[in-house]
Amino acid sequence: MTSVAFSGLTKSYRGTPALDDLTLTVRADSLTVLCGPPQSGKSVLLRLLVGLEKTDSGQIVVDGQDVTKLPPGGRRIGYVPQSFALYPHLTVYENIAYPMRLQGARNADIAAKVERAVQLLSIGHLLKKRPDQLSGGEKQRVAIARGLLKDAQIFVLDDPLVGLDYKLRERLMDDLRTMRRELGATFLYATSDALEALTMAEDIVVMDRGRVVEHAPVDRLYHEPQHLRSMELVGFPGSNLLPGRIDAGICVTPIGRFAVTPEATAPDATAPANGAEVIVGLRPEAVELQPAGTGQLSGQASVSLVEDLGGEQVVYLETGGLTLVTCLSVGRGETPAYGQTVAYRFDPAAAVIFDPASSRRVGCGCFEGQEKIRHA
Amino acid sequence: MSNLRQTLYHALLWLISLLFFSPVAWLMLSSFKGRNDILAVPAKLVFTPTLDNYVQLFERNGFLQQLLNSFIMSVAAVIVAVVVSFLAAFCFSRFKPKGTDFLMFLLLSVRMLPGTAVILPVYLMYVAFGWKDSHAALTLFYAMFSIPFSVWILKGFIDGVSLRFDETGLVNGASWWHVIFRVVLPQVRPGLIAAFIFNMIFVWNEFLFDYIIGGRKTANVPVALATGAYADGGVDWAFVSTLSTVYLLPPIIAIYVFQRYLLVGMTFGTVRGEV
Repeated sequence: MTSVAFSGLTKSYRGTPALDDLTLTVRADSLTVLCGPPQSGKSVLLRLLVGLEKTDSGQIVVDGQDVTKLPPGGRRIGYVPQSFALYPHLTVYENIAYPMRLQGARNADIAAKVERAVQLLSIGHLLKKRPDQLSGGEKQRVAIARGLLKDAQIFVLDDPLVGLDYKLRERLMDDLRTMRRELGATFLYATSDALEALTMAEDIVVMDRGRVVEHAPVDRLYHEPQHLRSMELVGFPGSNLLPGRIDAGICVTPIGRFAVTPEATAPDATAPANGAEVIVGLRPEAVELQPAGTGQLSGQASVSLVEDLGGEQVVYLETGGLTLVTCLSVGRGETPAYGQTVAYRFDPAAAVIFDPASSRRVGCGCFEGQEKIRHA
Repeated sequence: MSNLRQTLYHALLWLISLLFFSPVAWLMLSSFKGRNDILAVPAKLVFTPTLDNYVQLFERNGFLQQLLNSFIMSVAAVIVAVVVSFLAAFCFSRFKPKGTDFLMFLLLSVRMLPGTAVILPVYLMYVAFGWKDSHAALTLFYAMFSIPFSVWILKGFIDGVSLRFDETGLVNGASWWHVIFRVVLPQVRPGLIAAFIFNMIFVWNEFLFDYIIGGRKTANVPVALATGAYADGGVDWAFVSTLSTVYLLPPIIAIYVFQRYLLVGMTFGTVRGEV
């Protein structure tokens, strides 16, 4: 079992910090996805782990061994870079076999392992070709095969599916998860795509401005986000973020008021002070286009945009100068039309309250008697 | 109409080309003429060809040695230059030492220096070191003169090889040696050929330094031409034309075979053309 631990990692480029005192422990035998906007430090962190960059300060420990000062070749980490970097002068077979050749493996072993990787990624017909004869998706699969062929327990994948078409990405996501289970290895996977993160991850690490803002199993992170950035970045379509104010234990928002429960899940979080400005996060699926039921807040809004995704629809609602996003399964009720006025409802218990200064979660909503909906 | 224009245009181009080629043609034809035919006025286009001039040339004392000198010194100097330049260009491209741009400029300015400007100090230095008329010393000098050009050409090519290739090698446990020769080198082969051919032609054509810091032992073909052109109180046209023809052949063949690489050389690697 090989786990990876970063502690106090700092890295800057010409005075611009890329990683800021980052500490993170990655669970062994897991698929951990680093998720964050571009420039959040995901790639830098992975490059430090692989050894392609030097740390300014801090320590990287792999399986109990300090590898901070080891050269990249001494770290025994498989690496699938963002760009394919397939050697143009070698055939696909030789490209895939490359890490094993460098490790001095025997030809028969190489052939056997290449054969297996090639079958998993269905690229057997490409082995004799040169990289410039391949399509983007084929190149990426070859790069993945090469990265995963190394005799290692940790594999680093730096946004390997970026720029591929959706169908291919879906397939490769499946393949990667299968391969990880077969290898029983630890995967670190960086992406800026929320959907990819949710599909792939067992654990998610949300990064922002060179720091880890949250690290949790994927379902807990999705349903109980502890940080505003987690709510913002992880999930598709993006969450609704509304301005709010605390007034005697009640959270007042443009779409209604509800009581605030201080958090039991965040022990060091303090309940929002009276009069404090807060940000209220609401997942799109928490907003339903139904008249109010018991224990729910409701209101009227006009439909400003409908995005049809086939199986579901993303509906943008305008209410009180705010845009609310909601996600509907097609086939449940009528399809709303542009400009139509609809009733919506949400359960205040689904609302998460964040402190705008620290971006930390400070509580969540709960229904408070028979509050009247307040419209601006 | 446009067809006629194009035909006229092509005819004009051919005319100009032939005009420029005519002295070379005269020279080459002369090498197959007897002594009396060479100086005939008007020039004879119909004559009985003879190989006497060639037989005489190759029987001439020292000529084979001079031809060999030209070959060996150009090939050896350029091999040394390309190896050194490749490693230097790799360092400039990958490690970007402080002042890389200035160093590259300095290198180029060394190359731009006219030979006559440095011939005197170089001569004094070679005499002081006892290097005059030495194959190795002359080869080193030519290598030195070929390095700046090669570094420029090769740096352009190595810059074009993504760093990700190096990284892939390093992550998989490759040494720098492996990265330089097994990962980067195969990808800059056109640059190596361009640098090789271009400098080869330069050294092949070199006269001044061979004449001054070389000597009897190391004389090359241009020196042989200069020193042997006058005989019996006049220009020995048979010798000049025959030697020039022999001397022209290798570069003509090289240019024909490697013409696409020449553009790269002439533009210091900034224009890749089809290579």
